Amino acid sequence: MASAVETAPTPAGASSPTLRVLRDKLGDGLTGVDEWRGDLAISVSRRAWLEAARTLREHPELDYKLFLDLCGVDWLDKDGHDERFEVVLHAYSVSHKHHVRLKVALPENDPRLDTLSGVYKGANWFEREAWDLYGITFMGHPNLSRILTHEEFVGHPMRKDYETPKRHLLKEAKQWLLKVPEGSEHMIVNIGPSHPAMHGAFRVQVLLDGETIQDAEAEIGYMHRNFEKMAEERSYWQIIPYTDRLNYCSSFMNGHGYALAVEKLLGVPAPPRAEAIRVILSEFSRIMDHFICIGANVVDLGAITPFFVVFRAREAIYDLLEACCGARLTVSYVRIGGLAQDVPDNFDALCKAAVVSVRDVTDQMERLLTRNPIFANRFREIGVMGAEDALSWGWAGPCLRGSGVAYDVRKDHPYSGYEQYDFDVPVGTVGDCYDRYLVRVAEIHQSLRIIEQALTKLPKGPVITDDKKVALPPKSEVYSNIEALMNHFKLVYEGILPPSGEVYGYTEAANGELGYYIVSDGRKFPWRMKVRPPCFAIYAAFSEMIKGGMLADAVAIIGGLNVIAGELDR
Amino acid sequence: MASVRVVTVDRNTYPGIYPILIGLKITLMNMIRTVFLRQAATIQFPEQKRVSSGRYRGIHLLTAREDGTPKCVACYMCATACPAECIYIESGERPEESIEKYPTRFEIDLLRCVYCGFCVDACPEEAIMMSRENDLVGTTRAELIIDRDRLMERGKLAEYGPGYRPSDHDVRRPVRIAALERLKKEHGIVPGMPGR
Amino acid sequence: MPTFTIDGKQLEVPTGTTVIQAALAAGIYVPYFCWHPDLPVDGNCRMCLVEIERMPKLQIACNTQVTDGMVVRTNSEKAAQARRSTLEFLLVNHPIDCPVCDQAGECYLQDQYMKVGLHDSKIEIEEKVKKRKVVDLGPIMLDAERCVLCSRCLRYESTVTGTNSLQFVNRGNVTQIATFENRPIEHEYAGNLADVCPVGALLSSDFRFKMRVWFLKESESVCPGCSTGCNIYVDQRDDVPERLRPRRNVEVNKSWMCDPGRALYKEIAVTSRVSGARLKQAKGWKGTSVAAALDEIGSWLKGSGNSVAFVASPQATNEDLFAFSVLARSVGGLLDFRVGDPQLRVRERLDQVLQRADRNPNTQGALDLGLARDGVDQIVKRCAAGQIKALVLLGPELLRNPANLDALAKVPFIAVMATHEGPELDRVHAILPLAMWAEVEGTFTNYQRRVQRLRKAVAAPGDARPGWELAAGLLQRSGGTLAATSAREVFARLAQAVPDYTALDYKLIGSTGRALRLPDAAAAEARV
Repeated sequence: MASAVETAPTPAGASSPTLRVLRDKLGDGLTGVDEWRGDLAISVSRRAWLEAARTLREHPELDYKLFLDLCGVDWLDKDGHDERFEVVLHAYSVSHKHHVRLKVALPENDPRLDTLSGVYKGANWFEREAWDLYGITFMGHPNLSRILTHEEFVGHPMRKDYETPKRHLLKEAKQWLLKVPEGSEHMIVNIGPSHPAMHGAFRVQVLLDGETIQDAEAEIGYMHRNFEKMAEERSYWQIIPYTDRLNYCSSFMNGHGYALAVEKLLGVPAPPRAEAIRVILSEFSRIMDHFICIGANVVDLGAITPFFVVFRAREAIYDLLEACCGARLTVSYVRIGGLAQDVPDNFDALCKAAVVSVRDVTDQMERLLTRNPIFANRFREIGVMGAEDALSWGWAGPCLRGSGVAYDVRKDHPYSGYEQYDFDVPVGTVGDCYDRYLVRVAEIHQSLRIIEQALTKLPKGPVITDDKKVALPPKSEVYSNIEALMNHFKLVYEGILPPSGEVYGYTEAANGELGYYIVSDGRKFPWRMKVRPPCFAIYAAFSEMIKGGMLADAVAIIGGLNVIAGELDR
Repeated sequence: MASVRVVTVDRNTYPGIYPILIGLKITLMNMIRTVFLRQAATIQFPEQKRVSSGRYRGIHLLTAREDGTPKCVACYMCATACPAECIYIESGERPEESIEKYPTRFEIDLLRCVYCGFCVDACPEEAIMMSRENDLVGTTRAELIIDRDRLMERGKLAEYGPGYRPSDHDVRRPVRIAALERLKKEHGIVPGMPGR
Repeated sequence: MPTFTIDGKQLEVPTGTTVIQAALAAGIYVPYFCWHPDLPVDGNCRMCLVEIERMPKLQIACNTQVTDGMVVRTNSEKAAQARRSTLEFLLVNHPIDCPVCDQAGECYLQDQYMKVGLHDSKIEIEEKVKKRKVVDLGPIMLDAERCVLCSRCLRYESTVTGTNSLQFVNRGNVTQIATFENRPIEHEYAGNLADVCPVGALLSSDFRFKMRVWFLKESESVCPGCSTGCNIYVDQRDDVPERLRPRRNVEVNKSWMCDPGRALYKEIAVTSRVSGARLKQAKGWKGTSVAAALDEIGSWLKGSGNSVAFVASPQATNEDLFAFSVLARSVGGLLDFRVGDPQLRVRERLDQVLQRADRNPNTQGALDLGLARDGVDQIVKRCAAGQIKALVLLGPELLRNPANLDALAKVPFIAVMATHEGPELDRVHAILPLAMWAEVEGTFTNYQRRVQRLRKAVAAPGDARPGWELAAGLLQRSGGTLAATSAREVFARLAQAVPDYTALDYKLIGSTGRALRLPDAAAAEARV
């Protein structure tokens, strides 16, 4: 990237042990290094790909244990790119607290690459996605098939030369994901896609021996709308309403993460007041998301009371969001560089009322559930996920912390001023459903602590940056002078024009690390926008988790993973 | 930076029947709150209606000039900003030299609309705002493509009140919305306070 | 050849190059209003100020010639400050008009405010000087308030058209442009005034309030209005062309085009287009698929030899003409294209600016491809004598001449590839829907023998398709083959078959075309 040369006087990544180790290991297999906006990107040759990924994960000095994301990029006819395709891996080292981006270029006529599914378990689904959307073949992949689109789909929709108006109807849905072994009396049962115990439209087919699950296969994509393709034809701020529809249970956090990623790309921070308000609303959203997860999870177990109890507090939070931005669910409240409007005068009172309500119902919920042996015994020792496996699958958030890994983006890489607030990171010890539940409940309390601190410290000032290339000018100026009017016009029809470059922006969303990998070519629309949806990685592990368990446990486990179809399928 | 304090969750449970009694107590209390103290979180729609916030993003409205014609000058900013591409405008010429242009057609497809409010943000003329109307029903798709005249009707607006509009909270320079003042003067429509 | 430094880059440029030309060629941004590559330099807007070492004051880049060893800085703080102040001055009296101004989206003021301005306003609305607005000058609407007094339009009128209809009137704060007694602009090159105007002072009456320009997508093309072959852009939205704009080509049309040419987009997205094939039957017309119509026409062609005649049109692209001539030769029929004016006044000027007497864009191409063969008169004569069994027309021109009607009535079967419906189509027996110039990939050869590319800007209506595709369909049904599935491949076949075109392909032709050698006499005639 040209701009990287300007911003980094020293050679990119010079001080990084990652680069040193990889250079020693790969020699000329390492083809390029780039460091921009604090992101280290390393390009390797196709032959060195598998070796590079394995070194990243297994070398003690690097220890990139947490798999984050793998995606394709299409550079069709783009200057400066000799090969058409690129595969990009993001990984994180929990022990050394650093991210890495590993890239490999693939030729148009032969887009083949070694699979990483033997290195990172989570790579399995992400590679299927890259194959589905880009037609990149991963050699040695155990099951390289369509994942987000259906099996009768023709072509690879994220390719730049794919004709978007094309429609491909699914005439005959795949009935059997599994096979009954010859001679056995096993039974195949579909859970979902339309089943009250599946929280959204996704499907698991299980092979039952009595009530024991012998085999399971998950199918997703029912809600796929190709958010990422739509984002390639929308200006940076037009994408905001689309992010609301990722994890719609906590829509504000998606927008928050998105805005931060674009702000990182632009190098334009939001003012402190906007950041504090974002933190408050994000934490409230996290609470709502945890409420939904816990409430719906225990409904699956037959306990309907907590569901109604926690929904009372959700109302208070929705009212707060509505007072701020005019919508309850799909808030679209953030803007690049700040917020749409300042909060209303009674913001403080509304927040405090919501805090009281949340405390009240959390207390009730805890007394109903936490120490209740009927509930606890139902949750203990099922869906156990060890720390090592969780990292390899790419789990993050409460699920990863339930497995005992204390990784929280808010603590380890504070954004939006989280470093100012005092809060703890709750972790589990066993990694079962009960731990995940307990972590979520403990996080609700921590979120309330953060909200209360942020409210007392809430700074005064503007809620959007004064950078005229990013934020719309004040309306009164637009009405009354030509300079602001021209500024307004240019920003509306031309949009925000970021520098060319690529960033990975990440935040701690309710389900874990929500990442936005944005590739910009300096124009109005992002060239590539990849969402790292936390529950995609989580749900990928689901069918492995339930194998050997009871059918009824599968239902208990899925609720505790909090898989949201809007985010899963994008 | 605050130190990272990692807390391990407590996995112990209470023994015996005690937690179950607590659970029954909570359930009973909630019943009393809901049935006898009338503190239910739900309302009896449609007899009872929610009071939405003064920023509620409901169905759009077009503001009017003093002579009753639309304030809109058909600049297409809203149609440009709309991420759902639901606004259709055709422009024509007005005889007044100071205005020149106005929309001969202005249609919003409410089935495509995502109520994000970007049209309001994009408008350079305080011509489009949103009302708090949120319960429009149609039996055909065509009915939910609303035109200029419907957007300028004031009956429903008086009932629900105006919603999302340019911020009067902008500390950079607060905005005085003349169109809202005119609504108040001519139709007795008072913009709601933000919040409840 | 002086060598100089600009923003740290060392460049060598031809003697006489100005700083702005050198900067723009090197991809360095210098803002300007009054400078125009095809107009004389005036240097009045002061927007292109740059810092030049060893010169005490900032210099305007448009009127400073590069000298050896000169060191130019376009982005120094001093230059940036000067430009910001210049822009602020230009905006002092600018009305708050973006919402109603058609220039928004391609306005130099808007662009430069974002690039070099970004200042706050210091002027209240009430303080602005009022000038005349909405002045109807025929093809142009004048708004004097929006004018930045750059004088581009004045220089255009004096040096390009020589009409001088616009002038500055009054002085100081109230200076504005005007025509004498508000008379309309009457020459045929008025549309260019809207293009040269960097702001919204002069706007096209035709395009007024039709569309916001940022919705439009441009495609490079060539005007089909006459044999000059002006380079143009077709601006379309949702497959409806909204306007044509000149595209700069120093060798052909500089930055200009004529108003009759600009109006040609109006023929494209109209309801009178032929959108499907049809065959005449005893009870009247019956719509069919293109394939069925091709079958029917093919059955008349097969083995008919010289009892079939083919008449093409110089409106068609080289690709269409080539495929058509391959078809005619394969069948063994008569072939020509010279309907109407037999003089072929390809190089004759109609005025002193751009227009030429030959109103067809591709007469030269048809000549190059050898379509002037048997003579249209000869074909009509043989029709009259009843010797022609079937007649295939690429374009309906032959049908429009009343003198031909008796002869054509004797032909048992006439097939026509047509773009528009018309009364003349009633005289034929089969109609094939033909795509228009803006709907196809292809090439035209202009009066200079410059081969220039058309690019597909909009989708053709219904079943309409390029002429070469229809000809290839007929060729296949009469036992031949074209071995090409795209216009690019047709052109490759053409290049193999036609001398002079041998070295060409689409990539070489590029966006500004490739000139072939003219015969000496013609070259003298074509000289501008």
